[in-house]
Amino acid sequence: MSGIIKMTTGLTGLAVANNPHHTLGILYSKILRTLQKMPEDAAYRKYTEEIINERANVLKANKDVDVVERQIGCGQIEEVIVQAENELILARKMLNWRPWEPLLKQPPIEQWTWPPAQSNPKH
Amino acid sequence: MASQGMQRAAREVKPILSLDRDEARKRVLNLYKAWYRQIPYLVRQYDIPRTVEQCKTKLREEFTKYEEIKDVRLVDMMVIKGQMELKEVVNNWKQKGHIMTYFKDTVEPKPKDFLSKFLQGKD
Amino acid sequence: MSVLRRLIPVAARSTTLLNSLKKNAPRAFATEVTETPKETRPSFRKINQSSVDQLKDFGRYVAECLPKYIQKVQIAAGDELELLIVPEGVLPVLQFLKDHHSCQFSNLVDIAGMDVPSRTNRFEVIYNILSLRFNARIRVKTYTDELTPLESCNDIYKAANWYEREIWDMYGVFFSNHPDLRRILTDYGFEGHPFRKDFPLSGYVEVRYDDEKKRVVVEPLELAQEFRRFELSAPWEQFPNFRNAKPKETEEVKTEKSKK
Repeated sequence: MSGIIKMTTGLTGLAVANNPHHTLGILYSKILRTLQKMPEDAAYRKYTEEIINERANVLKANKDVDVVERQIGCGQIEEVIVQAENELILARKMLNWRPWEPLLKQPPIEQWTWPPAQSNPKH
Repeated sequence: MASQGMQRAAREVKPILSLDRDEARKRVLNLYKAWYRQIPYLVRQYDIPRTVEQCKTKLREEFTKYEEIKDVRLVDMMVIKGQMELKEVVNNWKQKGHIMTYFKDTVEPKPKDFLSKFLQGKD
Repeated sequence: MSVLRRLIPVAARSTTLLNSLKKNAPRAFATEVTETPKETRPSFRKINQSSVDQLKDFGRYVAECLPKYIQKVQIAAGDELELLIVPEGVLPVLQFLKDHHSCQFSNLVDIAGMDVPSRTNRFEVIYNILSLRFNARIRVKTYTDELTPLESCNDIYKAANWYEREIWDMYGVFFSNHPDLRRILTDYGFEGHPFRKDFPLSGYVEVRYDDEKKRVVVEPLELAQEFRRFELSAPWEQFPNFRNAKPKETEEVKTEKSKK
């Protein structure tokens, strides 16, 4: 910590994190473990691993929370924790949804054409 | 060939609630019973100039009006709407006027024969 | 005709006002405008090409991450990113856009409906979402018909509760797993869904207070044919300068899928 104890995040409903390094470390390792279960070539896994590894490296390299916040550049450390929590929930849901599979179904013809009357003179 | 296509198309639609006719029928009967049991309370609650017996006849009429409908999804949709309407009655969201709308006591029957049509000034 | 004639003196007065405005206009805006003097449509917002490119990249990114659900990515009206998705993919796509690190669209601005009766799936449901973190907006569109339920996204965005009720009330699109789906705008006992294109402008019933019955009664509407014609266009043209101005063409963003 940088000497001064942080009193508030200034954001409603978001309390100051006591030990952000520890919390984030656990969250990131959990996310990575979840991502391991996805296929290698899934784009979601690839990109998320990239982001998480980058943040995890920043976290490991710096002890100072201020520096971590500045290097990640995505808000205060508490917000970064919330983002990691969200990503973890998302990754776990993604395992069920399996979005890396091919397209579920093609749209019906004329579904996404606009204006509808011009493209189909029959109607 | 055509019937096969029909069958496949029928299988592909996403069910709303019921998977087959029997289930849909059960839902309709449940809704009917729920309304039926509500009627004595309804009559007292809303102070309408109708007896319980008249209301029950009306209820039956309202249900048999749609007996032609066989499509499971259509039946489900109507059951959902009927359920919502029942909730409006139970929670007293409706008012006396809304209940009396079912009886249509101010609506004059449409003229059928020539003379009455002429008297009403309609063609 | 008489209305028009009465308006003429007013119009004459307003032209002098307009002229004086025109004279003063260059001086008033001189400080702001530095370059691009030849602007024929000054009230059109400029489109920032670099931000459009960013949006396109982002659209490709999402399409690559969720190939199962995204049918098409497009830029509408010049700089608005739209994702066109399969109806089953509403929850995954919205959850992804909300929770992924590089999306964070945590704010549901609106859910809109649209009815195009000539299509097999006549209703479109449109989610407008906003990312406060990246100051970006995105639109997610999906489709359904009268009897196919859509998944309710109430678990993802709490704001969806009333919006979905509104869509249900106005279009009759059923949202499954909604905690409290009921009417929100129409009166109790109202029949039909007013925003459907086949709903008559005058409605099916008329409501009036009956003095004998001492209550409000509802009766089927019988409107004489001569009153049935509704003149909706105004007698004067509101935006003559934009008479021939077409909106910007919708442009499809090529994704991995569409290349194949």
